[in-house]
Amino acid sequence: MSLSDTAVPPAGGPSGLPAELPARKSSPSAVTKELIAKAGATRRRAGAKFKIRTGVICTLLVVIPIVLAAFLPLPDPNHQDLAQRLLPPLTEGHLFGTDQLGRDLLSRILHGGQVSLTIGVLAVVVSGTIGIIFGAAAGYFGGKLDSVVSRLIEAQMSLPLLMMLLLVVALFGPSIPVITFVIAIAQWPEVARLTRSMVLVEREKPYVSAARILGLHRVQILIQHVIPNVIKQATLVVLLLLAQAVLLESALAFLGAGPQRPFATWGRIISDGQDYLTTAWWLVTVPGLVIAIMVVGVNLLGDGLRDRPRRKKKGA
Amino acid sequence: MTKYIFKRLGQGLLTVFLTVSTVFVLVRLAPGDPAVAYAGPLATTEELAKVRAQFGLDLPLIQQYWIFLQQLFTGNLGTSYSFQAPAIQVVLERLPYTLTLATASILLTAVVAIPLGVWMSRRPDTKKEFGVNVLTIAGQSMPDFWTGIMLLTFFAVLIPIFPASGFATWSALVLPTVTIAILQIALISRMVRREMTTNFAAPYLTVARSRGVRNSLLTWRYAMGNSAIPVFTALGTRFAAMLNGVVVVEVVFAWPGVGSLIVRALETRDYPLIVATVLVTALLAVGVQLLIDLAYPLLDPRIRLGKAATA
Repeated sequence: MSLSDTAVPPAGGPSGLPAELPARKSSPSAVTKELIAKAGATRRRAGAKFKIRTGVICTLLVVIPIVLAAFLPLPDPNHQDLAQRLLPPLTEGHLFGTDQLGRDLLSRILHGGQVSLTIGVLAVVVSGTIGIIFGAAAGYFGGKLDSVVSRLIEAQMSLPLLMMLLLVVALFGPSIPVITFVIAIAQWPEVARLTRSMVLVEREKPYVSAARILGLHRVQILIQHVIPNVIKQATLVVLLLLAQAVLLESALAFLGAGPQRPFATWGRIISDGQDYLTTAWWLVTVPGLVIAIMVVGVNLLGDGLRDRPRRKKKGA
Repeated sequence: MTKYIFKRLGQGLLTVFLTVSTVFVLVRLAPGDPAVAYAGPLATTEELAKVRAQFGLDLPLIQQYWIFLQQLFTGNLGTSYSFQAPAIQVVLERLPYTLTLATASILLTAVVAIPLGVWMSRRPDTKKEFGVNVLTIAGQSMPDFWTGIMLLTFFAVLIPIFPASGFATWSALVLPTVTIAILQIALISRMVRREMTTNFAAPYLTVARSRGVRNSLLTWRYAMGNSAIPVFTALGTRFAAMLNGVVVVEVVFAWPGVGSLIVRALETRDYPLIVATVLVTALLAVGVQLLIDLAYPLLDPRIRLGKAATA
């Protein structure tokens, strides 16, 4: 495994060499550069595997209960029971305890998670689609279209992001479509920039000229031949954006710009619980941990997939 | 050089102008009436009409915009409804707090993230490095408002060594700064690592190493010399973003900065205050961005402004 550490200089020159031979004559070392590279790759692969595995476990740990929330034997997330206020976690019937109105925290977190996740996934789908289309078109067609898209990306990156999001949400009302749209708008430049740079490389490759010589239309080449070659990498970024989208949504909800009352999204649960910090620590700690576990999971997964050294093309 | 600066300044001001205009129109198109927020829910129709007339909100949008343009060039953006003071002045009073917080955070980030990133790049693929790597992923995955509240619980409530909110003593700066820095350190150190790893693999470094250049010199002079620009850009961009108000953290710690101001202005539909905040922060962000670009030749003598850097 850790072969490369043994790459000490005197390693294995052929034993019978005359001593006066100039030292710089290249000695066939036992540890070659390829071996070192291979050892590095092996370790990186092991690391990536660990990240992917842990990432999947963390993500599923949060996502599966959320998806199944409706089928689990849980109290209604909005059912108030003032006799059972602020029960600590692990109380009978309330795994995560209850809040200031006696509502079951676990149930609230899971049902809130449904809203948070839906928003996150939808936002990422929208921003991914917009980003890939605009980025690919800008990179492939170049010219005016490219400069317009590039300026747009630049302009947006120089704007105060969270402030603008708050502004739009405050103005148009914190409904789920508005929030989804706002997060998508915040995220598309990232995807577009990456797709654009990849397409720039891709369009110079021989298969594109081949397709052009065959007489295919430019749009057709882009859609059928170029985009499939960059989509895998682009979706990887989109996965990382999903983590960001969930964080962004919870931050908006924390600031009071989240979906309104009947929906208890993660940010809202935490901001509500803030008033009970000293008496009921779990109201803030537990939902935050749930967000963190899920986002760590998604980030680890994305990171692991990216780190994974390319194998020689075979089955994979 | 001078031409370049003027060109960039012009572009920046145009961006700011368009942004402010967009915000000006957006706030007025959107539902919600500042007169109601100002006069209270019990106000009669006549009272509301009076308030609207007082603020000039009964005029057609075009006319309001024209007045706004005139105000913009005299540097007076009107009176904040809720503070009853010139809006610009209200924002400028809050600005030093945000500046302090942003500066402290970026300094802490630089001091920790750069050595950490270098350390990671020197030991790629070892167990320790992997551990730190996973830690940085965790660092960028925690919601910052939650980290803030957790720090607050531990270091202000359970073990009261730091004040919980506001800015009365300098020790109040610690918790918000750390909250912001945790996220930034995670992001920047990963970036430093990436840059340095690329440079360590470059041929010029092999040449330097075979010439017998000391390891510390290799790291800090050779590799860092070429990583400096991207790292500096990242730090600068982060700083510019923070000037726009570290909204969430300011709210958690009741920090009297621009971020918490905008939240309040939005809630009360304080149009002049919203526009003034956006104007001031956008100007600052554009200015910082320009300064970053102007600093490039200092970091890398190969760069001549106005030629390559405009890309």
